[in-house]
Amino acid sequence: MPIAEQGYVHWEGRLDVRRRPWRPIVRLGIRLAFRRKAFKFVLGMAFLPTLVFAAGVYISERLDDFKEMIRGADRFLKVDPEFFKAFYASDYLLFWMLIIMVLAGAGLIADDLRHKALQLYFARPLRRRDYLQGKALTLCFFLLLLTLLPGFLFIVLKVIFSGSFKILAEYPWLPLSVAAWSLVAAGFFSFYTLALSSLSRNRRYASILLIAVYFLSDIFFGIFYGIFRDPAFTLLSVKSNLQQVAAALLGAKPFFEVPWEYSAAVLAVLAVLAGVVLSRKVRGSEVIK
Amino acid sequence: MNIELQDIKFSYGPVRALDGITVRVENGACGLLGPNGAGKSTLLRILLGFLRPDHGQGHVLGHDIRKDPFAIRRLVGYMPEDDCLIPGMDAVTFTSYFGELAGMPRQEAMKRAHDVLYYVGLGEARYRMLETYSAGMKQRLKLAQALVHDPKLLFLDEPTSNLDPQGRVEILDLIKDISSNKDIQVLISSHILTDIELTCTAVVILNKGRVAAQGELAALRQVDFSLYELRVKGESGPYLRALGEAKCRVEETEDQLLKVYLPAGFDRRELFRLADRLNVQVRHFVKSQSSLEDLFARTVGVD
Repeated sequence: MPIAEQGYVHWEGRLDVRRRPWRPIVRLGIRLAFRRKAFKFVLGMAFLPTLVFAAGVYISERLDDFKEMIRGADRFLKVDPEFFKAFYASDYLLFWMLIIMVLAGAGLIADDLRHKALQLYFARPLRRRDYLQGKALTLCFFLLLLTLLPGFLFIVLKVIFSGSFKILAEYPWLPLSVAAWSLVAAGFFSFYTLALSSLSRNRRYASILLIAVYFLSDIFFGIFYGIFRDPAFTLLSVKSNLQQVAAALLGAKPFFEVPWEYSAAVLAVLAVLAGVVLSRKVRGSEVIK
Repeated sequence: MNIELQDIKFSYGPVRALDGITVRVENGACGLLGPNGAGKSTLLRILLGFLRPDHGQGHVLGHDIRKDPFAIRRLVGYMPEDDCLIPGMDAVTFTSYFGELAGMPRQEAMKRAHDVLYYVGLGEARYRMLETYSAGMKQRLKLAQALVHDPKLLFLDEPTSNLDPQGRVEILDLIKDISSNKDIQVLISSHILTDIELTCTAVVILNKGRVAAQGELAALRQVDFSLYELRVKGESGPYLRALGEAKCRVEETEDQLLKVYLPAGFDRRELFRLADRLNVQVRHFVKSQSSLEDLFARTVGVD
């Protein structure tokens, strides 16, 4: 292969001191995720509840037209905090959010560790915080696509189909609740995914960890709850804690007889632990102590 | 002054990696030499701000290594030893990505990525996935990402490791071109002495976390004038034995050239007296400059 096909030319431009140095990382993360066929399929699957609930919003305004089809199930079609709780806290949506994290997030740090790419990042004017922000915001982009976007879409559709702002008059806090829950879910899942991704140099192991922790915690909850019948075991399950907090933030009835603040505390502790793991694992160079 | 370090100390737990390093590196290409574990990589990491020294102070291109690592990283290009390539990307995306992270505008970074990829000889392969790259191509790509933001100073960590002879020559040609013609200063960390000899004008030799020698390569070579090259005619065996008994170290090359290291205070005329006594003709006698290999062996204390 010939070398120096072209001579070296100095670059005349000026390097910016970026206010948001994480932007290229987010852009690349999103681009690489969309290159995977499986990811596109999963993202499509994760949008199914949005389609179904959007149809529900439409039907809620045309109950007479769909009377035959509904047959007494119209109480599920009342667009109120319980409707949003049913959407956000559904096992189905949470499952597909997890799978999105597996496909788009498991390798975010694991791949960099495996290929020793961190030293390339940190040889740039980039702080650890910027790197982690970039990775986390990549995940937040997908998570907010599945939570914030549908939530606001439902509210807008309800306003359009009903021709009034009644829903906002009855539940003025609803947009804020939707935003709050979306941010909590995106923040928690991002920390959770990045921490487990940083624990392995292999994206497959990181994927297994992501799924195992999520489901094992739920299985333990099921076992202990089955034996002791104590709802406090809800706190063992990642999924149940998310559902509790979702219900509380949306102003709906919680799933279990456990104060939602406890669930929020458990999620917060997990997020802090994830932060500690990340601060230990993400370094410009390996330091052997 | 490109790099100025004073009394830098750094430990990994109880292990002292750098023990009072004081270094000044002027313009031009400088080699950072040392056996494994000498502290070369640790020193590079401290210069880049990856590690904070336990003691001492230093400046790179006028910026304090403790207070201003980001300014240093903006001006410095770093080519690590490891194959640190991100899978799923092509060379253009990869190179422009790191240009952007260095602070280049997106479109400029993309344009510049094409330029440097052509420069390092990856023009034709710039849209290929990185997973398909050979070892030589990966080295070139690492050089390209280090050059993309047009640094003032390049840190190259083992730039020719894992390369075949041809690939090695090509990378060394590029390094020579960059350091001699492009107004970019280069610091090369390597344990391949001939690479340093071919590309550098100055050298810093580390051993056990300390500076064993530093300065202009030409000046360092002239420190010791006790190396002579001889060709003799006649029975060389007794002559070599006699030199050995006189505490001279003798190396014989494949073409029968004798490299004779004289001990301190040894009179070189004694070489001729010995030859005369043993009926050996000295046909060639040249005062030799020590090679980098000799210098390294002497300062580090290994053969």
